[in-house]
Amino acid sequence: MTAVTETPAWIAEITMAELEKNPYPFYERLRREAPVAFVPALGLHIASTRAACQEIGSQSDIWDGVISPAGGRTFGHPNVLNANGPEHDELRGMVDPALQPSEVDRYVDKLVRPIAKRYVEAFENDGHADLVAQFCEPVSVRALGDLMGLQSVSSDKLREWFHKLNVSFTNAAVDENGEFANPDGFIPGDEARAEIRAVLDPLLDKWTVEPDDSALSHWLHDGMPEGQTRDREKIYPTVFVFLLGAMQEPGHAMASTIAGLWSRPEQFERVVDDPKLIRRAITESLRWTSPIWSAVARVNKVDTTVAGTFLPAGSVVMLSYGSANHDGNAYDAPSDYDLDRAPVPHMAFGAGKHGCAGTYFASEVCRIGLEELFETIPNLERDETKGIDFWGWGFRGPVELHANWEV
Amino acid sequence: MTGHTVRLQTLGKVTSCRSDQSLLDAYLRENVWLPHGCTQGTCGSCKLKVLDGEVDHGDAPAFTLTPEEREQGITLACQATPRSDLLVEPLAEVSDDGVVRHPLRDLTGSVVVLEDIARDTRRVVVELTEAMPFNAGQYAELRVPGTGVWRQYSMANPPSETHRLEFHVRRTPGGVATDGWVFASLAVGDAVDVRGPLGVFGISRPQEEPAILIAGGTGLAPMKSMVLHALAEGLVPELYLYHGGRTEADLYDGDLFRALDAEHPHFHYRPCLSEQQWDGASGMVTDVVLEDFATCKGMSAYLCGPPAMVEAAGKVLKRRRMAPRLVFKEEFTDAADLAAAGGPLATAS
Repeated sequence: MTAVTETPAWIAEITMAELEKNPYPFYERLRREAPVAFVPALGLHIASTRAACQEIGSQSDIWDGVISPAGGRTFGHPNVLNANGPEHDELRGMVDPALQPSEVDRYVDKLVRPIAKRYVEAFENDGHADLVAQFCEPVSVRALGDLMGLQSVSSDKLREWFHKLNVSFTNAAVDENGEFANPDGFIPGDEARAEIRAVLDPLLDKWTVEPDDSALSHWLHDGMPEGQTRDREKIYPTVFVFLLGAMQEPGHAMASTIAGLWSRPEQFERVVDDPKLIRRAITESLRWTSPIWSAVARVNKVDTTVAGTFLPAGSVVMLSYGSANHDGNAYDAPSDYDLDRAPVPHMAFGAGKHGCAGTYFASEVCRIGLEELFETIPNLERDETKGIDFWGWGFRGPVELHANWEV
Repeated sequence: MTGHTVRLQTLGKVTSCRSDQSLLDAYLRENVWLPHGCTQGTCGSCKLKVLDGEVDHGDAPAFTLTPEEREQGITLACQATPRSDLLVEPLAEVSDDGVVRHPLRDLTGSVVVLEDIARDTRRVVVELTEAMPFNAGQYAELRVPGTGVWRQYSMANPPSETHRLEFHVRRTPGGVATDGWVFASLAVGDAVDVRGPLGVFGISRPQEEPAILIAGGTGLAPMKSMVLHALAEGLVPELYLYHGGRTEADLYDGDLFRALDAEHPHFHYRPCLSEQQWDGASGMVTDVVLEDFATCKGMSAYLCGPPAMVEAAGKVLKRRRMAPRLVFKEEFTDAADLAAAGGPLATAS
């Protein structure tokens, strides 16, 4: 067992731009040759195999949640991703209640179905649409926005916020001194945060004196002594986490499900004909193109070795779930979308104490959204004249998704 | 023969099933409703998970029940017989949809009407010794005398007539049940063994959506039952019946449907001929539907006929943006097709 002393050239030379365009070839080699490897462009280690991600994600006694430097710079501290121990317990105690499956079942249909109907009705007679911009993203942000209590914020504004926060969060490149290589890349995120605070402060003021059933009102009040509210400096970093990941990713998942199904036209046909298959189609999509592709990190509290790589205490390791879900040891032909694949559980929602709080909510938003889309436009077809480009390393999904249909 | 105890985990329903009896047959006879379709092992809609105990998968074809599914303990209720006491759970949702179900029963009757009604098509009416309640659109099985063969035919009479069942039988050259029986030796007065009712296809409850019924050949049989029932009970706000054939020689019961069309403003009868020009609609029945409706949004459809017609109709309705969950299909194939590929229903051989 030895520390990695020399970084192979193919790892040393990888760039953020290459990863964002298509991370799969690089990761395929990582899984084969260096399952846990230090990547200079990121200034941290990457775990790329399913086994390594599972081992690190599940061993909470060795590994704490931590956020990547760019993520920390974007969200601030303490946020639910990098808090640990009692602080993490408090934040999860704040966000989890509204997202428990039994609670989600109580409200999700009433919340999401009218939203999905509204957006699809807006373009159903056009005969064509970019489903990312006109359906998947707006349905995703509107559903969570309304749950959080942000009815007064337009869907376009919510989309603008997560796009800006995303640019900032994934501005991960560092120079040889470990400093951010592109400091200006944080400007969009800073602008979004300032605007979010300007919009949310009055709402938090209102909920302080007039609590309601919105999630953010609960975040202020739940678990606090009578007459007190939670310090909003403790709330905001996690609000930013939600306004990026939770706003963006159900939309990514919905769009990737459609793109995956379009790669298998006969499977697309089956799912449109039998809406009961939509859940399975989403599950396979989450494996095929994991929305949170490489955005979750851990730091070890003690020296340890994973997949033959020695990691001194304090090593930050990025868990690349998007790569783990393409691990050939777990999945046959992992780069193919296949509705009928044997159901080996995927890791798209992470594992352990920092596993995704919104697993069930996000899946239900996708299900209801796709049910409404396929029911209203069962003759939906891929616009073959336009390509489908995926983008992203931290977060990944189709950039645009052009469909047409007979009207 | 001794029975094994079979329990449905969630519903808690217990039945006794002989070792030569299918699990589906045992439950339907107890009037415990389980999802099913063809009862021939080809549609897969009756899949159960065996949580405890052992079954014989019988003749379940590999394309319906894959080796992986067998390994996971999944079986076809219509094919599986018990080898031990069992705890099982249907894969499909068993929800109370408000439809009253009727138990599967063995009955006997005699032929009271046997007539040629169209090219290679006969109407067979069987008077039962006791009632067989059923839902409009369901089917029964008739035993071909002297053989162990049972054939499925949809009831064409309305469910208000429980003693007198009408079937439409189309001839299949060389078919055991047709050239070997219905079109050969069968005569008025002959005794017939009947087993039914089976199937989930049909209209049993009031519905808000207008309905388009598309039938090919003797696919008209369940539609006739459904039209008569829906009109009598006022179940559907607007009802369109399309019947497709090659020439006028393939159509039948036109006078009845034209009279109903004249009597009921919300019922519309549209016979279509694909190989004959006439004063009615010409072309494939599915193309006529495509021409007739600019949109099918908010409507429902019931399709019964050969698989190619059912598939084509499904595509047409999708083009006209009918929600797929509101499209109900009953395919039929003849025995030769079944032997080659599987997939039965109401039909002939």
